[in-house]
Amino acid sequence: MSRSTNSKIAFAHLTSRVKQAMVAMLSVTFGISMYVFMNGFMTGVNDTQTDLAFSTLAHIHIYNDLPEDRSDLAGRFYDDSHLVHIRHPKTIQYTEGIKNSAKIISAVEKQPGVVGMASQVNINVFFKNGAAKKNGVLSGIEVTNEDELFKTSQYIIAGSWGELSYRNDGLVIGVGLARKLSLGLNDNVVVVTDDGVSRNFKVIGIIETTLAGVDNAKAYIRISSARQLISKNQSYVTDLQVNIEDFEEAQKVASTWAPSIDYKVESWMEANGQLEAANELRNIIAVTVSLTILIVAGFGIYNIMNMTVNEKIKEIAILKAMGFESKDIVQIFLVQSVIIGIAGGCVGMVLGYLISVAINHVPFEVATLDRLPMTYNIEDYLSAFVFGLATTFIAGYLPAKKASKVDPVEIIRG
Amino acid sequence: MEHTSLAVRNISKYFHEPQRFQVLKNISFDIKKGEFLSLVGKSGSGKSTLLYVLSTMDTDYSGELYIHNEYLTGQTQNQLAAFRNLHIGFVFQFHYLLPEFSALDNVMLPALKLGKKSKEEIKEKAVENLRLLGLEEQASKLANKLSGGQQQRVAIARALINEPAIIMGDEPTGNLDSKNTQIVFDIFRQLAAERGQTIIAVTHDEEFAKKSDRILELSDGKLL
Ligand SMILES: Nc1ncnc2c1ncn2[C@@H]1O[C@H](COP(=O)(O)OP(=O)(O)OP(=O)(O)O)[C@@H](O)[C@H]1O
Ligand SMILES: [Mg+2]
Repeated sequence: MSRSTNSKIAFAHLTSRVKQAMVAMLSVTFGISMYVFMNGFMTGVNDTQTDLAFSTLAHIHIYNDLPEDRSDLAGRFYDDSHLVHIRHPKTIQYTEGIKNSAKIISAVEKQPGVVGMASQVNINVFFKNGAAKKNGVLSGIEVTNEDELFKTSQYIIAGSWGELSYRNDGLVIGVGLARKLSLGLNDNVVVVTDDGVSRNFKVIGIIETTLAGVDNAKAYIRISSARQLISKNQSYVTDLQVNIEDFEEAQKVASTWAPSIDYKVESWMEANGQLEAANELRNIIAVTVSLTILIVAGFGIYNIMNMTVNEKIKEIAILKAMGFESKDIVQIFLVQSVIIGIAGGCVGMVLGYLISVAINHVPFEVATLDRLPMTYNIEDYLSAFVFGLATTFIAGYLPAKKASKVDPVEIIRG
Repeated sequence: MEHTSLAVRNISKYFHEPQRFQVLKNISFDIKKGEFLSLVGKSGSGKSTLLYVLSTMDTDYSGELYIHNEYLTGQTQNQLAAFRNLHIGFVFQFHYLLPEFSALDNVMLPALKLGKKSKEEIKEKAVENLRLLGLEEQASKLANKLSGGQQQRVAIARALINEPAIIMGDEPTGNLDSKNTQIVFDIFRQLAAERGQTIIAVTHDEEFAKKSDRILELSDGKLL
């Protein structure tokens, strides 16, 4: 009974000062909508970045790394009292690529969480068209697996990706590389390997990813053609690219696989530390900015509730004289802040959504983007609401506490 | 002692601002249950100050305060608030009401806080109290739209709502014409006689005081 009475008084206070209540509410609304928008935008940017990165980068990369530097071999067996000198020490790689890939592939396939895998034979070559010559990477790929992992086919701007799977002499080339070599669709290009082997290919597709490493220096052929080119057998692979269900887990997964695989198992985080760092930094910026705005909103509420308490000090004294206890007074004022917080929060979430949609429509034609990116995560909305409510609660509690300490005699005596 | 409604022993109180000054000096008296008592004295003699002490709102005094044999001195603010809500009805010198509530809501508020009766019963009782004081027409008006005398009568109706054992008024008829003063006096008289409620009223109205059961006079903080 007394609780609903307190709420009734709180409500009467609010409705008697609609303007101030609106101002307080708007400050919460603003804070929450900015929180929603900032987080949605930053996550959008992160997702776009990640998507773009994963167009050439697998979650986990297995390859034959250079062996450890062992040039100081003798030094390990003699202490400082001996002078050891080895002339021109060098580390020599005895094996290249992954020899018996079938065993590793079947082992990886059995691991939980693996959603896709593609073998590659990557070779450094020269591309030649008449006198024009350019070095780059020739990537022998499994056409369907590669596309499943990297969605390569969606970056094709001329010709076709699928044709690769039945064209032994077919080649898909980066747009920049093609331009430098003056190549067009159906033109012939000569590929020359380190060992001096050369072979003719026909350009059947041109690809544009906006990533310089691909566009200016890469071409794709069938994996079997690549093996032929360097005279390797059917199970020869230089790189194994694996995608797992949750790319955030790559680091952990890679380290659990590493002991059972003789080759280097590298997560995308390890290979692209800056990508991860940039994502983290953007998240920190988003959280800092939005929390700052919420705190400012909190000060707004604190201010307005303080004013209310001062304004209503006589009524607080009357309530106390009639037997309302301190906790009733706290409740009366806290309910007001919470109502302001909930109302401001709800409007804030809607406004945040509208701002997000509007920003999402702003044209932004850079790289693969055509509009500013945005994500709409229900979690962002909920956490904005929770933070907003917590802020109003704290900001409202202090004035409420002050109100509950009013000495009725002092006020009523005048 | 069994019929004592309120008792004070050696109540003294000092104000420290602007300088130390003793406003109540060793006051002791008893009031019987159902007694209608007037508290008189010159302006500034300490009547209001004493009444605040009796009402349990002011706890900054020395001495002892008993109501219904319960020793109230030294209890916490929250205990005293609950006690006031249940046992004491208070009419202030400057008839304070909550301005954003109607007259009826103002009267109902202490009973809603007490929460012993249903809302319907409380409303019925509040309407009856307002009618008793000739305010049935004003029930739904906002408190700050009423005249001074009307506000004071609403405050009296509010003080009666929980049927408190003791009703205290600081010049409860100060703003009323003789007709309404007579009405209030009759109500007090009736409550004391029929329901055994104790009335303590500060008044400057000699007529009013004379008709009550007993007069206490304060002079410079001392009981005469
Ligand atoms: N808060 C205060 N601080 C200091 N002195 C005070 C305070 N309140 C009242 N006084 C003084 O205490 C004395 C008693 O005041 P009180 O209000 O009790 O008088 P009163 O008998 O009710 O007078 P009135 O009939 O005019 O209402 C006065 O001299 C007054 O100036
Ligand atoms: Mg007075």
